[in-house]
Parts: sequence; structure tokens; C-alpha cells
Amino acid sequence: MTAPVFDLRNVTYRYDAVAALADVTLAIPTGKRVALLGANGSGKSTLLRLLDGLHFADSGTVSFHGRALDAGAFGHDAFAFDFRRRVGLVFQNPEVQLFNPTVFDEVAFAPLQLRWPKEQIIERVSAVLELMEIGHLRSRPPHRLSGGEKKRVALASVLVLDPEVLLLDEPTAGLDPRSESQIIDMLIAWGDGARTVITATHDLGLVEDIADHCVLLYQGQVAAEGEPALVLRDQALLARTNMIHAHRHRHASGLTHSHPHTHPHRHD
Amino acid sequence: MHIPDGYLSPATCATLYTGSAPFWWVSLRRMRRGLNTHMVPLLSVFAAFSFIIMMFNLPLPGGTTGHAVGIGIAAIVLGPWASILAISIALIIQALLFGDGGITAIGANCFNMAILGSLSAYGIYRLLAGRAPIESSRRAVAGAIAGYVAINISALAAAVELGIQPLLYRDATGAALYAPYPLQIAIPAMMAGHLTVAGVAEMVVSGGVVAYLQRMEPNLLRSTAPGVQEHGTGDWSVTKPLWIALAVLAILSPLGILAAGTAWGEWAASDFLHPETRQQIANASAGQAPPSQPPAGLARLAQSWSAPLSRYAPPFLKNSALGYMLSAMIGMTLIIVMGLALGALLRRHSRSFIEATIANLLRASEYASTAEHSAESRGLLQRVDPRVKVVGLILLIIVVAASHHLVIIGVLFAIALALALASHIGVGKLVSWVWLPVLFFTGAIALPAIAFAPQGLRSAAYLVSRAETAATLSALLVLTTPWPWVLKALRVLKCPTVLVAILGMTYRYVFEILRTALDMFESRRSRTVGALSPAESRRLAASAVGVLLSKSVHLSNDVHLAMQSRGFRGEVHVLPDFRARAADWCWLAGFVFLAAAALWWGALTA
Repeated sequence: MTAPVFDLRNVTYRYDAVAALADVTLAIPTGKRVALLGANGSGKSTLLRLLDGLHFADSGTVSFHGRALDAGAFGHDAFAFDFRRRVGLVFQNPEVQLFNPTVFDEVAFAPLQLRWPKEQIIERVSAVLELMEIGHLRSRPPHRLSGGEKKRVALASVLVLDPEVLLLDEPTAGLDPRSESQIIDMLIAWGDGARTVITATHDLGLVEDIADHCVLLYQGQVAAEGEPALVLRDQALLARTNMIHAHRHRHASGLTHSHPHTHPHRHD
Repeated sequence: MHIPDGYLSPATCATLYTGSAPFWWVSLRRMRRGLNTHMVPLLSVFAAFSFIIMMFNLPLPGGTTGHAVGIGIAAIVLGPWASILAISIALIIQALLFGDGGITAIGANCFNMAILGSLSAYGIYRLLAGRAPIESSRRAVAGAIAGYVAINISALAAAVELGIQPLLYRDATGAALYAPYPLQIAIPAMMAGHLTVAGVAEMVVSGGVVAYLQRMEPNLLRSTAPGVQEHGTGDWSVTKPLWIALAVLAILSPLGILAAGTAWGEWAASDFLHPETRQQIANASAGQAPPSQPPAGLARLAQSWSAPLSRYAPPFLKNSALGYMLSAMIGMTLIIVMGLALGALLRRHSRSFIEATIANLLRASEYASTAEHSAESRGLLQRVDPRVKVVGLILLIIVVAASHHLVIIGVLFAIALALALASHIGVGKLVSWVWLPVLFFTGAIALPAIAFAPQGLRSAAYLVSRAETAATLSALLVLTTPWPWVLKALRVLKCPTVLVAILGMTYRYVFEILRTALDMFESRRSRTVGALSPAESRRLAASAVGVLLSKSVHLSNDVHLAMQSRGFRGEVHVLPDFRARAADWCWLAGFVFLAAAALWWGALTA
């Protein structure tokens, strides 16, 4: 196995008194597509923010290619710019991520901060807008877009840097089925399998499409890790970590019963 | 208290821009020096928040409603310097986009509300809260008083600015060129409204939000509470006494303003010639000796005009100071009685404050989408370079402000109308979004002038025509230019990049916070059966502002993370853009020619 892109050792992170992550030890292999699974409040978003160097661990270490991510490292422009170019995070709520006056400005924001030359920025932004099929929206203000369009702009604003590592927080949350499948298709196609993609989600139906490795979080701790098929098959584990639920449903025979189940999106 | 265009002379406006500039400069410097990269989103979101809460219709004791500006909260949560910026930005967006407050008056409005308001609110809050613990009720009371006093200081400053206009600026016939009422009318009229209604609104919001934050988000109160022990005593259990104290203050403060013998700025021309009164003026002006000759404007004023109620002293009173106070009180009582009567009259038909606030929010949102829609159509002005439009239209607004001839103002109005029609902006849109609101506001102010001021009809005509023409011109800018382009134009015109970035983010988050506020009020409406008592409504309003504030601050924290994640390190970088075409140079030349022609014509007929 290649050296891990992210290496977490005994990481604890607290919001005021509440521990969002408690003693997490985890290695994210380079070039893999990883799913971070967990119910609401399990610590997925916090973990992504630690991986993106936005928050720093209260104890333990998070390292990126062997370099510790802490306030000291980000105090150096060279490291900060290098890291920001190589790692991109797409936030769950696009409202948070879209703060510029127009779509074009939005996508150009990151390259501008990284002081790319002007011509390169214009060329690259246009290319990404075409890739995400939002070229026609370039001079629109983001707050007037639909949910699916906002999500694409948010993705474009990160993909414009062509990062090695893409961190996605609930990429399909709040999207209609059509926009959701388009976003998934784009993510599957992106990077040709050579990039590390870490997706936080509680949508189990998505996992096998977008990940070849998954990490299950429960109350700020790693509850399980491994191949998606293995983790998804463990019904008892999934029930215990609030990932699946039981509800009553009716079969064609007229029989009504309930059992824990997932909601896979399969068409075979 | 948002002074519109046409109420202040260009010289006053320029003075107040100049007066505001050092404060803006220091605020920007402090923001940058601290390397507080989170200040950019925080200020933006806070400005948007302040903008939104100005639309909240607060129910007040006595059945009236009022609007808070949020100066108290901004100063308490952000500290004075950041508050200056946040409130200034809210005011700039209001003036540029929503026509609330004039473009030439931005300096004045910022000086009164953002600068004087923030500094005084902060000072009073720190003074009164002392080292009381964060959760102490003393802080809520301090916040309430800070809001109340700050808004009144702002109002007083505005009243003085308006009140000196007729002293200094009159045309050949003696009609007031700008705001027509002298200090002895402007101050009581302005203060009556603020001491009773707007001040109480600000007090309810400031005090209520501090109380809300104490329970829900105590961290937001810490930055302006240094050296506070975690727990301790020091509570004031005062609510009733506070109300009584404020009522007394409300009654006494006009006396305080007016009681000091001759009120500051209200000197008769002859006062400048007598040694005794000269000494009084000097004492009242911090030792500054007055000029040996009365100002020319004042002398001219004294000859051409005597007040309808001579120096405000009822004839049966020989003691002028007493008479002065008495007439001020009579005036104030009259205004309060009229206000209450109007309130009672309107209340019969009025909707609940929830409905009224929803209506306000919807109207703002509707106006913004009208503007965006209209800016994207292919009219005449839409095709002009935004820089040219910003420069050209603001130039014309200044000319309107400077012109001393009704005919010239009329011609400029006709030109503005022609430009609007050529830019696919229909008369209906202008009537409902620009002319009627301005007429409603300015007309209400100008109408009494017809009866009371000398050359009243002429004075009123100046005020209304100037306000309408300037409002039409500034609406042209917004209705023909998408906001992002206005921003880029401002940037090209050398506005500080970080300021423009904040303006852009503020506009963007106005809609986010507006949506959140609408959701909050609509869900509240769906759960409210029957009428709320006024006290319940007030509590509800204050907690709504509190919830909105804490949501706004969380939003700004997340936005800050999202900015950092994409490489933001505290400096804003932007693409240089715009290429002016020959046509744009022609337009610029056209605007400049028009402005020059209007000025020349004015000079010729003077």
C-alpha cells in the first residue's frame, strides 16, 4: 500500500465542551475514493474540516503527506498556498460557499487568492464552467440559482484548482433526483480514479458508486472501516450506528412487516 | 433618519464625507492590521443583518411601531470600529440599491449613525456594563440604554445638520434651498420622534438581543467585555425604574438641549456684536471665539426673515429662556399627540407586526428582483459602461444638489425620465418604486413648510423636486446595472478592494438572511392564533432579532472557513477588467457636458 495522504493519530476535537471527534486514528490511502459514513452529528463534517486544515486537532495529530496540519504550518504562505491548491473542500451548504457577486467571480476566487496569472485564470475558469455545464450562468449572481445549479457552481469553484484531494460534505444533500444523479456521474468521471476523493454522506445507496473504501463514524469515533460491501452487509453494525432503521412496509402478498433495511438506488 | 438627497447642501455633504473619512480609514486600518481574516465575512454578514432588521416592524408601547437600526447591537458585538464599517456598509447598500437615504448624503448618514452612533453606543455600554459578568442583567440594561442614547445622538446630529441648512442656504427670494426648517424646529421635531418611538425601538432591540445572547450565545458578548470575571454578583434588578428613568430623560432632554440660554447655533446676528453674548457663544463652542462680524448668511437671514413664532417665545412670557423651553415642550407634546393619534388611527386597519414585517421583507426582495430583471434587459443605459454610469449619474445628482434654480432641476428631471424610458424602465415602475415613496416622505416634510416657512411654497418645491430628481437618477443606476458591475465599477474607481468585497458579500447575504427572516416570520405566523399582546409581540420581535443574529454569525463563521479553504489569507485579489469603448467615452462626455451646462446655466441666471 502506498503512503497515506492523510494520517490521523489519536485525534480529539471539541466544540466548547462537546467532543465532536474522540481519539480517532485513521489513515486515508492515496488515490482511493473513500466514503465517510455516519448519522447526523457523528463527526463527519468536523473530520472533513480537520482534513482541510480549517480546524486544528485539540490533541493528537493530523498529517498530510507526513506534514502535520497545525496553526504553525498554515502560518507559512508557501505551505498554505500549496496545501490549498492540492486539497479542496466542497461544503454541504452551498450558500456558505458561494459568497461572490457572480458565478464567474466565484469560480475565479480560489485561483485569484493563489495569485495565478490572469490569462490562466480566465482560461481555466471557462474550462471548468464548461465541464460542469454551467457556462451560461457565468454572469449570474449565485443567490438567484436553483439548488442543483448552486451545487455545480460550488463544485466548480473547487475543481478549478484541479486538486489532488477532493473533500465532499454531503454532495447530494437537498438535491432532486435528477440533479443528484448528475452530480454523482460527474464525481465518478472526475479524476479518472487517480485522485483521492473523500465523501461524507449518510446515504448508503451512494456508497458503492462513489467509494472503494469506507469509514463508519459513530459519536465521534471510528466504528468500522473497510470495503463498502463488507461494511454495508453488517446490518447489526449499521442499525447500532443509526445508519439504517426499521419501518413497516407492505408486500404484494398483502403481508405487512418491518425489518431494518437500506435504501439502495439500484436498477438491476 | 436616513437623510435623502436634496436635504443637505453639497457643501454640508462634502464636509460630512470629509468628517467621516478618517473614521473609515482608521476602521479599515484596524481591520487589516489585526489580520482578522474573519472580519471580512463577519462585517458583511453583520451589515446584511443590520440591513434586514431595519425592516422589522417593532411594536412599541402606546400602539406605535418603529424600526431599529441595530447600532447598539453592532457596537456591542463587534466593537466600535468594526461597527462603524458594518453600519456604513448597510447604509451604503441602502442608498445605492434601495434608495433609502441619498447618495450625496451617504457621508452625513454614516457620520450620524455609523460613526457617532457606534462610538456613543460602545462608550455608554462599556461605561454602564462595567465589569459585570457576561450573564448579568446589568449588561442587558446597559445595552438597552446604549441603543437608546446612541440613536438619539445620531438623530440630534442629523437634526443639527438639517437645521443649519436654512440659515446658510437661501435663494434670492429668501426661500430655503435645502431642508427648510431652522434648528428650533428641526431639533424638537426630530427628537420627538426619536426620544419616543425610534429610540424605544432601538432600546427594545439592543436590550432584548443582549439578553438573548446572554442565554444563547454568551461568546458573542465577550469581545467587548474585557476583564470580566466568569461569575459574580452585580445584577441590577431594574426594569420598571429603567422605564421611568427613560421617560424622565425623554421629557428632560429637549430641555437640556434648549435650556443653555441661547442654544448652540441659534445666535441672532446681533449676538456676534455684543461682547457679552460673544463670550456666551465662545463658551458654548469649546472656547472657540466667534467671528467678529456675523456670518453673511446669518445677517441676510436676520433681515429677510422672522420666525412665525418669534424666537419661539410665546408673547405672554417675558423670560425668554423659560418661554423657549415651554414652546419646545408644547411643540414636542403636539408632535407626540399627533403621532399617537395617527398610530391609533392606523392601528384600526393595521396588521400584526408579523404581517407588517413579512410585507416589508417581501417588498425589499421584490424590489431587488425588479432591479436585477430590469438591469438585464437591453435598454439604452444598460449598454453603457458601468464606470461611466456611476460617474455620470452621481455627477448629475451632485449638480441637482448644487442647482439653485427650479427650472434646471426640472430639466434634469426630464432628462432622467427620458433616460429611464429609453432604458425600458416604465413610468409605472418609477411611480411605485421611486416617486411615490419619495413624495410620501418628502411631501410630509415639505407640506408644513408651505404654511410656516417664508417663501414656503418655493422652499417646498426645492425640496420635493430635488429629492425626486436625485432619487430618479440614483434609481437609474441600479435599474440599469447589475450589482456585480456596480461593484466592479467602484473597484475600478479606486474604492478599497476589501470594502468592495464586503459590499458584494453583504448584498449577497442580504438575500440569505432575508430568506431566513421570512422563514422565521412565516413559521411564526403559521403557529400564531389570534392577536398577540403588545408585550408578547415585543418579546417575540427581540428574540427574532436575536435568533437572526446568531444565525448570521454562524453563517459568517462558515463563510470564513469556506473562504480560507479556497486560499483566502486576509487579502482580497480580483481580476482587473472593463474595457471602455468609444461609445462609453461619448456617454461620459455627454454626462460631463450636461453637468457643466446645468452649472453654467445656473451661474448665468444667478
